[in-house]
Amino acid sequence: MLFNSIDFAIFLPIVFLLYWFVTKGNLKLQNTLLLFSSYFFYACWDWRFLFLLIFSTLLDYFTGIKMSDAKSASSKKFWFWLSVSVNLGFLGVFKYYNFFAESFASALENLGLQINPWTLNLILPVGISFYTFHGLSYVIDIYKDRIKAEKNFIDYAVFVSFFPLLVAGPIERATHLLPQIQKRRTFDYAKAVDGLKQILWGLFKKIVIADNCAEFANLIFNHSDDYSGSTLLLGALFFSIQIYGDFSGYSDIAIGTAKLFGIELLRNFAFPCFSRDIAEFWRRWHISLSSWFRDYLYIPLGGSKGGTWMKIRNTFIIFIVSGFWHGANWTFIVWGALNAVYFLPLLLHNKNRNHLDVVAAGKLVPTAKEFFSMLLTFLMTVFAWIFFRAENIQHAMSYISDLFSGLASKSSYVETMNLIRWQIGYGIPLVIVLFFSLEWLGRENQYAISQLGKTWKRPMRHALYYALIFAIFWFGGKEQQFIYFQF
Amino acid sequence: MQMKTFLIHTLKFFIPLLILLIPLDYVLSYYLSQSNEYPGEIEVWNDIYQSKATCDVAVYGSSRAWAHINPEILKDSLHAEVYNFGMDGHNFWLQYLRHLEFLKHHPQPKTIILSVDVFTLQKRTELYQQSQFLPYMLWNANIRKYTSSYVGFKKSDYYIPLLRYSGKTTSLKTILKNAFSKHTEEKYRKRGFLGLDRAWNFDFEKAKAANVTYQIKMDSATLVLFENFIQECRNTKTELIFVYTPEYIEGQKLFVNRSELMSYYKTISEKYAIPFYDYSGDSLCLDKKYFYNASHLNKQGAEIFSRKLASDLKARTKN
Repeated sequence: MLFNSIDFAIFLPIVFLLYWFVTKGNLKLQNTLLLFSSYFFYACWDWRFLFLLIFSTLLDYFTGIKMSDAKSASSKKFWFWLSVSVNLGFLGVFKYYNFFAESFASALENLGLQINPWTLNLILPVGISFYTFHGLSYVIDIYKDRIKAEKNFIDYAVFVSFFPLLVAGPIERATHLLPQIQKRRTFDYAKAVDGLKQILWGLFKKIVIADNCAEFANLIFNHSDDYSGSTLLLGALFFSIQIYGDFSGYSDIAIGTAKLFGIELLRNFAFPCFSRDIAEFWRRWHISLSSWFRDYLYIPLGGSKGGTWMKIRNTFIIFIVSGFWHGANWTFIVWGALNAVYFLPLLLHNKNRNHLDVVAAGKLVPTAKEFFSMLLTFLMTVFAWIFFRAENIQHAMSYISDLFSGLASKSSYVETMNLIRWQIGYGIPLVIVLFFSLEWLGRENQYAISQLGKTWKRPMRHALYYALIFAIFWFGGKEQQFIYFQF
Repeated sequence: MQMKTFLIHTLKFFIPLLILLIPLDYVLSYYLSQSNEYPGEIEVWNDIYQSKATCDVAVYGSSRAWAHINPEILKDSLHAEVYNFGMDGHNFWLQYLRHLEFLKHHPQPKTIILSVDVFTLQKRTELYQQSQFLPYMLWNANIRKYTSSYVGFKKSDYYIPLLRYSGKTTSLKTILKNAFSKHTEEKYRKRGFLGLDRAWNFDFEKAKAANVTYQIKMDSATLVLFENFIQECRNTKTELIFVYTPEYIEGQKLFVNRSELMSYYKTISEKYAIPFYDYSGDSLCLDKKYFYNASHLNKQGAEIFSRKLASDLKARTKN
């Protein structure tokens, strides 16, 4: 059940009405309804994997209690490692087994040994990387005595499976979400309206911006041999905008949906396209994952405390693991490593925390310096996204090589202009410009349109929302899968 | 109280949209149905739904029907009303849908001329030129039944007003053009036919140079439907005639299982005693000047062929 489907448009109001009218504020009923709705939502993808989700939930629930009740450190350690190894084991089998088997076989082939790797024909259970990380953060927090184990199974299961965040995050923390689940929710008008607005903005980002950019990004990336220089640059730009619209749009819909049920989820995006350096970008992009790796990997490794080599080692580890989390492909690993290379100079010169504020806060336009640092950071990320989008390393390398070798040729620009004129048209580029203008104007808020029109009269405000709905109608219908569902 | 306010405000926001769904759907469908652009499929659907396609002789088939068989020539010769229902780019599966919709709004014709060819019993995967269905498909069970097996529309498109127009930018632009520009009454196809005044396009030479060959796979569901249709014609006492219209002779070699397909038509025609006029070896097929590509006659070729067909059908009637 996709967020941008008719099925979800029917599912959500039904659950909403049952939640507020049938449960009548009874916490137990509210959570039970949320759990069954979430399991139904998940089963709509593939009911077989529901058992895996339930098993993973039961495992962390019981090991959590066992750790809390453990009389000795060794017993606590045992339950901790059992949970971690089973969770990572599932992730390893479903997501990474074939990658390792094939990479091992190819490494042996380079040594002159030929083997046929035994690969598994497995479907990746949707959301496995997300709910595994939910569970892991929970057991790690118990192991480190940051939280107590949750004794109520329904409450814990809702924490893992709450349908807005189940398949693609934000990756929640027990310390943030569990207390909200344990507390009776009462209806909050302002929060619900805010949730609806955020859902609308998320749908606009996904359907209008991401899905339309995807058409042209796919066209150019899938036939990259036929294109040169500036067209390949355009393809990379389209993909960068696509992935931002797709994932931040998804996150807005998830956060907005949760607000309808009186629950606040962690923020996942904070206008990363307006970052002034790569460190700021990573504080603003997929925040729930970046902070997860920071808290559960980077800091335990020593963070940026040790010597230079330790800083370099830790930076590479966190970025490469983060890349690998996205998928079993060398392209993601190179994407992660490249971001580490971008990040390291800032870290080593203690400039990684230079930009903690919002760019040009309170001003309409940035300074020239701010503008050029944003442009440079954006272009660096665009370059890195080429690896993320490419089929394999060879594809990425040939894409980059053709991109740079073609930039000097005039015919490349003619080709790009013809592609824009005859295939892309001017409508989508214009909508993208309007989109980034709204993002810029709303960059000091949670999401771009959260404060827009707040002082306007209702008909004017509604006109703005109708305009967004009209854009969704006009540019919709492309039905591209959410990119992060594959992770 | 807060919930009540929320529900009232939400309903106030969405109700205008819901109320507008049906009228807007009607307006968009109306203006899209005014299209008289290539390949003229919408005009044929309009004639069907407005009961303007009454005929004694109905011609069914693909573009090899609508661009090859001129109803006016047949009418003059046979002294009967003729309408060409040829459907661009589609096989028998959707030609049958058109037959069903035609019968909903018209009396049964006396004769059906079915233009068969190598592609007739194949089935495409994607719904080619799906915009032709947009104005007529809402709550239409036949269109849903016969188009839903293609990659094209979603289930909700058949039931929820307006939804199917989302993202159909080409159709939406056509609608705007039809709504705001001066409308011309001139039709693209006349009684479903248009002879295409086009020069030879060299696609065949390109295919030959690239050693392209085609293996046609007959679709099992289409085969069943095809025989059911034959049975239906027998039950309603409608005369059914198979016609294989001319193909450029060299182009025929590109289809590796052509003889198998031809023998299927011959077997069926013998089994059900259906007259089969095969023009694939006609003298027209030897000369490129009558074609614009290997499968399609040009205007001149269509005129000559239509006269030949009319004469052969007339001779048959006399006998």
